[in-house]
Amino acid sequence: MVRYFYYHVIYVGLINIMLFVPYTLIQNRFHGAVPAIVISIFLGTALAYVTISLYLKFPEMGLPEILNTYLPRTLALTLILLTTVLWFSGGMLVIYSYSRTIQQFFNPDMNPYLFSSLMIAAAIWGGTRCTRTVQFAQEIVLFACAPLILALIMKAIFSKWLSWDAIRITAGYVKTMPSFLSLAAAMFVFAGFNTLAVFNRLVPADTKIRFRWIIPVFCTLIMLISFFVPIGFHGTVGVGQYVYIWSITADSMIMEYGFIQRVLYVFLLLFTALTLMFAMNTWHSAAEFLKSCHPKHRPKTEQYPVPASNWWINASFGGLTLLYAFWADDSRNEWTSHIWLYARFSADLLAVVVFSLILLLKLRPKQQNKQTVPKSASSDS
Amino acid sequence: MLEQIKQLFDESTDLFTETLDNGYWPMEIAYFPAMCDERIKDGILIPYSYRFDPDEFRRMLHSNPKYERADNPDEWPNLLLKGYALIKLEETCYSFKSDRTLYTQPDETQLESSLQGPQSAFTEDLELNAYLLRKRYNVPTLSVEPYEKGSLSRTAIFVVYDRKLVNPSVLELLRKRLDKVNIELLQSTGQLIKELTDKNHLFFPTLLQSERPDKVAVMLSRGKVAVLINGSRFALLLPVRLFDFMHAMDDDYESFWISRFLIVMRYVAVLLTIVLPAAYIGIVSYNPEIFRIQLAFTIDGSRAGVPYPSFIEVFIMLFMIEALIEASIRLPKSVGSAATTVGGLILGQAAQQAGLVSSIMIIVTSVVAISNYVIPNHTFSQAIRLMKYWFILISMIYGVSGIAVLFFALIVYLCHLRSFGEPYLAFYGGQNDQKPQSAQRKS
Repeated sequence: MVRYFYYHVIYVGLINIMLFVPYTLIQNRFHGAVPAIVISIFLGTALAYVTISLYLKFPEMGLPEILNTYLPRTLALTLILLTTVLWFSGGMLVIYSYSRTIQQFFNPDMNPYLFSSLMIAAAIWGGTRCTRTVQFAQEIVLFACAPLILALIMKAIFSKWLSWDAIRITAGYVKTMPSFLSLAAAMFVFAGFNTLAVFNRLVPADTKIRFRWIIPVFCTLIMLISFFVPIGFHGTVGVGQYVYIWSITADSMIMEYGFIQRVLYVFLLLFTALTLMFAMNTWHSAAEFLKSCHPKHRPKTEQYPVPASNWWINASFGGLTLLYAFWADDSRNEWTSHIWLYARFSADLLAVVVFSLILLLKLRPKQQNKQTVPKSASSDS
Repeated sequence: MLEQIKQLFDESTDLFTETLDNGYWPMEIAYFPAMCDERIKDGILIPYSYRFDPDEFRRMLHSNPKYERADNPDEWPNLLLKGYALIKLEETCYSFKSDRTLYTQPDETQLESSLQGPQSAFTEDLELNAYLLRKRYNVPTLSVEPYEKGSLSRTAIFVVYDRKLVNPSVLELLRKRLDKVNIELLQSTGQLIKELTDKNHLFFPTLLQSERPDKVAVMLSRGKVAVLINGSRFALLLPVRLFDFMHAMDDDYESFWISRFLIVMRYVAVLLTIVLPAAYIGIVSYNPEIFRIQLAFTIDGSRAGVPYPSFIEVFIMLFMIEALIEASIRLPKSVGSAATTVGGLILGQAAQQAGLVSSIMIIVTSVVAISNYVIPNHTFSQAIRLMKYWFILISMIYGVSGIAVLFFALIVYLCHLRSFGEPYLAFYGGQNDQKPQSAQRKS
């Protein structure tokens, strides 16, 4: 069962490209992106280790159960609703960015909302499934994607057009002052451990999540590739001119053999799968959070057939995403993504604080517990 | 006794009823001659007539397991209809089992043929099927639960499983669903499948039909449940996963690498048969730039004479191939090959030369048809056959990107399916993954 956890780590790491993480980092490449990456490797690893250990202290409980059980109702409800917004908007941003990418690079003649609605429909379809189904589907899709991921990474690293000199020059800006935005962006690559918020329900009690070194190793690798490879292809200055930086970078590579010549199409195919996986997971989690706000809700990981509430919640997510697509353009989407990255980073830190407090209070005797809960509530909010 | 039976079977002239008398005892006898075999002669008539000895006859009545007391008059019609003979001697009724079986040896495999594996298949006789299974799965823990379904046909059903390995929750669910089966004439496994599956399992089979006793034995050893039906030469297996449908018995008998190669090839074939016609539409009409330039030119060149959009071309060719497949099943065997030649070779060639379809489309159609038949299971092959039309529809609207999205949705759908509570598509390690629902705490 532990292997499912690492699938989340890997695809959340990879989806960073759709959330403007490489773009944000590259914009700040001379002003603090490199030190931010270095910090994020240590901070991200530490955060992942601590959060995983904290979740394992609450066996088979997701985030809503933990909050609902140990916190006063209003506070728990506020936190859960905020988390819902955070998770849902993650899926929303990714779907919008990917639809824009497809519109620019694949179907320029198509009505942009037509393709957005297809992506939204697929995400609703995925998000309504029960937790176990989502987990199984993630494994299968990631297995199907693995050859594409490998092909893309191999092509990128071993391309003779990759200028290692440019990479070395950019890496030299390690002694600049790290910027907070770069740090928040870089931390997203490590964010996969957060999926335990729902999927911890499926981790059996007294499981040990072993092989945690996978997180620093894979995520660091993903981050270095997604930051440095575009710089290697476009040069230290030229790289700053592109918004959809990775699509352009993928289009800089050629496959000599086979039916397809431009690596761009491999990249787009891969990110169709990754985007939908991410959207499915975030919307499913958000729907689970929202449902748990109802006082009589009992979380179930296996539901067949799926309840109608799943459909309603996910359909409204879809409607909101469509509204967002009407409102947003490239610059507004970039702005929203930045806010989202900030919010997500703060939520990660907040989660650690809240969980540690709960754990401290839980360890104390019952009598004291009742007195200290209101205190911690005021200090949190 | 006879009066009562005659009343029940009023107009049934094929029922034989008579009071026999050999000088010592009178005996009332009733049976359907059409449903009983020669055993009635050796079992009743000879010992009763010229070899008669009252002591021996009485001893035979008590010791021969084919004789059973039949004191309850309500059971008589049922027994008669199942091929038993009823006799009444000295005010006591006995039934004698003498049902005729037409099958004395196993069938040949017809749908799931294998090159070097066993060639025997199930027959339409339940007893023989149970024998075939017991012979291959020879352990005392093999349990058989008898059922009778169908208000008119009253078909006997055996639910077979290894009680040491079986998942009790699956068995419980099966019993519950069997209780709900409401059907008049149960004549084939397909009907039972429809009754046992959920309403929303519309596209993919979640129960496996197999005619091979060796396959059923392998499945039993994995803790699955088999359902045998009298009068059908297929066993039902549950719960199953998608991989079971893609598994041919030859995979177990070939050497390791050969079978791995075959399995991988089969999955590639399935991918091709689902995606290829849709991809043709997407690439020709939406994104010809995906292919390298030479290839794109070749495809476009071959379409130069075709006057309509690619999806019409696809529909023409797919209609032809589906009609051909359907025709070759219904046609008598002697005409079948002629139809294939005319339909496949001559028509295809002519359609291309007439400029109605491109030559690439002919290749696509052939690949689709051939790949579809690589799938070892017929039901699954039908499901896949239908699936490609969804991809064609989405490709008409969205092109290649639509195919990728729909493929994702298909995977989610397959993961969403459950076969008797077990996941349908998942790489997972046995029953231990079935997590107890202890996460339901107060929230």
